[in-house]
Amino acid sequence: MRIGLDNIIQTQVIDYRIPKNTNIFYTLGFLAVVAYGIQVLTGILLLIYYVPHPDHAFGSVQDIMTKVPYGWLFREMHAVGSNLMIMVVMLHMVTVFLMGNYKRPRELTWLGGGLILIITVIFGLSGYLLPWTQLSYWATTVVTSMPTAFPVIGEPISRILRGGDYVTATTLSRFFALHVAILPPIFLALMGVHLFLINRIGISATPFGKIDEEKRPLTEYKRKTYPDGYPYYPTFFKKQMYMMMAYFVVMFFIMTFLPTLFFPDEANMPADPFHTPQTIKPAWYLLAPYQLLKLIPNKFFGIMIQMILIIVFLLWPFLDIQKEKNVLKRPVLRGVFLFLLVTWVVLLFWGRT
Amino acid sequence: MLPLTVHAGYQQDFENEFLTKPWAGVQIEQNFCISCHSSEQMKPEFRSIPEEWQASWHAQNNISCEDCHGGDSKDAALAMSPQRGFLGSPQYKDVPEFCGKCHIAILTNFLESGHGKALMAGKKAPNCVVCHGSHNIQKASINIISVQLCTKCHSYERAKVMKQALFLTETRIGELGNKLEELKHEGIYPETDEKSLFSTQAEFRALFHTVDVNLVKDRTDEFTAKLDLIDKNIQDTYQLLKFRKNFSAFLMLSFAGMGIVIFLL
Repeated sequence: MRIGLDNIIQTQVIDYRIPKNTNIFYTLGFLAVVAYGIQVLTGILLLIYYVPHPDHAFGSVQDIMTKVPYGWLFREMHAVGSNLMIMVVMLHMVTVFLMGNYKRPRELTWLGGGLILIITVIFGLSGYLLPWTQLSYWATTVVTSMPTAFPVIGEPISRILRGGDYVTATTLSRFFALHVAILPPIFLALMGVHLFLINRIGISATPFGKIDEEKRPLTEYKRKTYPDGYPYYPTFFKKQMYMMMAYFVVMFFIMTFLPTLFFPDEANMPADPFHTPQTIKPAWYLLAPYQLLKLIPNKFFGIMIQMILIIVFLLWPFLDIQKEKNVLKRPVLRGVFLFLLVTWVVLLFWGRT
Repeated sequence: MLPLTVHAGYQQDFENEFLTKPWAGVQIEQNFCISCHSSEQMKPEFRSIPEEWQASWHAQNNISCEDCHGGDSKDAALAMSPQRGFLGSPQYKDVPEFCGKCHIAILTNFLESGHGKALMAGKKAPNCVVCHGSHNIQKASINIISVQLCTKCHSYERAKVMKQALFLTETRIGELGNKLEELKHEGIYPETDEKSLFSTQAEFRALFHTVDVNLVKDRTDEFTAKLDLIDKNIQDTYQLLKFRKNFSAFLMLSFAGMGIVIFLL
């Protein structure tokens, strides 16, 4: 009571109102936070036994899988969870885009979310190398070679990432530091800003429900509130808990019935720098950019297209000047979105083969 | 969309560029043994050697030209120089010594065998390549002991008895090898058991190069005990995998149950 905790609970939980027309996709942001929490907890447990050295990394992961009590559970939760987290953050961005919730005054919230997605992918990428398997070694070799498509600065970027010409112990140390020490504070800071902005500006009402309340002119700061909305607790809280359970169900479903989904054979073999596997490909979330890079005859052109797409994606709220939020009433935008989505899926599956 | 052939060509260029640079891990270095032996200048009978080697068990296990013949495959000028340890092709009688640089235990047992003693005495006898081949050498199996091969020199009767003595243990080694491969597909890396199976197999195969049926029969129990141990470890690992699956399923159902309760509340 000394710090007014009861007041926080009263204002932020009990009196907090959310728009009546929210849907289940509004829980994806919360789900991303839960996913990150799971990654942190399981990651700390792995950190106790993991040894970030080429001579011991693979062995220590094998020890976690076979000797540490329930080590397999935490490792599989961490590995499956990393993929699910990227999916959740991606889905969150897509649904926010489709609902037009990135529009003024929420441009910075979108930008923060986009940066969180990029950091999440870098989390996945840096964690991918740590088990020091054939898959992780060669996928990292390919991914760290992608910046070389840039003239002049490409080679130095690649060298900085690797700490030399090859993927070696130095690369492992760098990726380990990035994964456990550098990215978490950046992620938490971005998440803090993102949540602050959501709280400060207020939740956006979806255009797909019965009520579209955002009709006021946005000329000055005003926190969006919904006095006649549903209480956060228990109505929305229940939805969040329900989605959290669904997240765990999906995670354990994969671990039970599809245990090798994210662990192909190369993921169970120690890295061998002298033996290149038949097929080398990065993780699924980088397959589409990788495949695109392979298809475009000019490497620089290929990487520039992707950089421009990322910049447009991050700054989209500032570039989209139309006031219409409902993507269903914007055929051009809808068409472009569908084209990009289908292209991404096609490139992903093409890259797999 | 561009035609696929254009893509395939570019894809090849891209992969070559991305994977053959020094930063790609290992450079694909020029091997002068291969380039010379593949060239038009080489005598026709030696020209097929690179292709045979590339399809061999040795190639699959990164055993290259210089590992057997010495020399320096990276230096065209000194590739066949004795200074770089070039040995060339061994004489017929010297082949066991040549292969025995790596296959030490097999060499010992072979030299004690009737085959080995006859060869050393300068009589008509097989050396390693007669049964195993040379550059196109494949993974060894007891199928090498065959009517076609053995009857080139003598009757098949003794060889058949030997094959029967080896059959059960060899079959079991093969089965355990397959099970260990299956475990890898399940996400387990059974390094200790794999090494143990490899050494047991090597020891067993070294033994039958003595061509002494009684010795093989006498020591079969010893090998069976080792294989039993590996088999037990595999079974235990399968039990562990089953437990993991059940435990994950239990957690999945628990969270599904909690989800249903929350939904109904």
